[in-house]
Amino acid sequence: MSWLMIALRNILRDSKRVVSTVLIIAVGLSALLLGGGFMLATYDALQEIAMRSEGHVIVLDNSQPKVGGTHQQLTLTDWQEIQDALWADERVHNILPRARFEGLVSNGAAAAMFSGTGIDPKEEFRVWGPFLNTPKGELIDPWLTADELPQIMLGDQLARTLKAEINDALTLHSIRPDGQMTTLQVRLSGLIHTGTKELDDHSLSASIDSVQALLGTDKISQLSIYLEDPQDTQAVKQQLQNQFDGIEVQSWQQRAELHDKVKALYDRIFSVMGVIILVVVFLAISNTVALAIYQRRDEIATFGALGTSTARICTNFILEALLVGLIAVLAGMALGYAIANAINLADLWMPAPPGRSEGHPLYIYISLPHYLATAAILMVTSVIAASVATYRATRINIAEALS
Amino acid sequence: MSPRVELENIHKHYGSGDNSVAALQNINFTINAAEFVAIEGPSGSGKTTLLSICGLMDNPDTGSYRLNGQEITQLTDARRCTQRRSEIGFIFQRHQLIPAMTVYENIAYALFLMGAKSRDIKQRVTQMLARIGLAHRKKHLPGQLSGGERQRVGIARALIKQPKLIIADEPSANLDHGHAEASLTLMRELNKEHGASVIIASHDRMIIDHCDRKITLNDGRMENTG
Repeated sequence: MSWLMIALRNILRDSKRVVSTVLIIAVGLSALLLGGGFMLATYDALQEIAMRSEGHVIVLDNSQPKVGGTHQQLTLTDWQEIQDALWADERVHNILPRARFEGLVSNGAAAAMFSGTGIDPKEEFRVWGPFLNTPKGELIDPWLTADELPQIMLGDQLARTLKAEINDALTLHSIRPDGQMTTLQVRLSGLIHTGTKELDDHSLSASIDSVQALLGTDKISQLSIYLEDPQDTQAVKQQLQNQFDGIEVQSWQQRAELHDKVKALYDRIFSVMGVIILVVVFLAISNTVALAIYQRRDEIATFGALGTSTARICTNFILEALLVGLIAVLAGMALGYAIANAINLADLWMPAPPGRSEGHPLYIYISLPHYLATAAILMVTSVIAASVATYRATRINIAEALS
Repeated sequence: MSPRVELENIHKHYGSGDNSVAALQNINFTINAAEFVAIEGPSGSGKTTLLSICGLMDNPDTGSYRLNGQEITQLTDARRCTQRRSEIGFIFQRHQLIPAMTVYENIAYALFLMGAKSRDIKQRVTQMLARIGLAHRKKHLPGQLSGGERQRVGIARALIKQPKLIIADEPSANLDHGHAEASLTLMRELNKEHGASVIIASHDRMIIDHCDRKITLNDGRMENTG
């Protein structure tokens, strides 16, 4: 007795309603897959940005007060010792010292506030990867001779504010830790465009040597450690914390405020959307099963008269719902996959989010685990909906239904 | 040896209060093993209600019903279901074949429910199909059969498990005379072979005359058991 074949024949007997149910579930599932795929792609992009901008593991000095969760002053000492120790670790891909500083940049005619970072010009721009956008000029030359002016790069909006051109001589004004004013003559080598207004309006990059010379210190703000495999983040963090005193070690997750906020927002949106779609699927399946039970009352009564247990009768209907759910899930996955590929190939762009001056490519992540998990949730929903609906089948009076 | 079916003081009402309708009143009769009994009466006389009670699909309000000596009225739904499965074969007026099952599966289903082994099921169903002349139709669905063929499948389904009691409700209602006679002959042959008691509710004089005995109902009361 092939119950699967019997269930399939019953589905085919009621093909019109089954097709409409399959369509509802398939469209709902594809919406979940597309929404989820967009979220996963966004999380990945934000994670990538967070990792590339700060490193997987960040070493800070723990003796100074922090402002907004980051060190604004150059207080990390003995950082070369940490750097040397880390270079011996095979898990480490790169180690970048960074010096945060602030001040004014002027060209004689105009001045503007900047938020600067001292960097290692040999290595820094390698980790920017696809996020490096230099609309004008060149990167800072790491091989300058002593008689050349130190080079800087400015956010493109900051350069526009100053009306500064490539190769212009500029002056940096800042305050040393001891309170003294200090200045440094520099040359503008290039512009950086990030698409984030705050950064494009105020960012300045200079070699870490020139920043240390400006501020009269050999300390830095932080060491950004880039790993071969991000999965090692916690292990490396823990190892550093155990190995060195007087430092605070953070993971990229602790610094990824935007990632966390966007993820929290999208998670809420997706949860609401998911619940709505699950309710629609639940109603579609329970409605289909309930109508099938109503139309097949005499068949159910016949099963009962022949001595079939109510559990067996319910199982038959649940098996049919499971089959409908399976067909719908396969159709939904195929539909979601096709639409996701079409969107990814169409090179569509999302509008600029708050705080950014430009949008980003719309990309839908296609992930097998995500597809399978979503499909499994829908299948379970189908079974629950069918189980609830089949309760009616157990209450049919055999004698009445057959008379 | 106790009678196969014993009904004592069976009463059945539908509705309540002023709307209460007496479907059966003070029904008493017995049916012995291998008896072929007709229940006759006009429409609304209570034939179907009586068959439902005899077939354990409904319970009387009061009275006693013993099937093979066992009191049935006190059984749970699950136990009654088990009794229907093992003791009773039904032949319905509208055949009541399962539409999604093939001819073979419809007949085999009765044995499947009894827990028979698949080899035994195959052998017995194949023999039965040959007996009712539908071996060539075994893979067809009920919708692809004529009325007479469906009724033969219904009879085969009821008889293949060799029940002690066969209940048939207007088995010839949708058949022409030839098919009705053939169906009756088949039921009679199988009744003789396996010793099953048969209760047939019918208006069909040919069927009633063919039975060993008839019970006449009128307005829910028995007029005779002769």
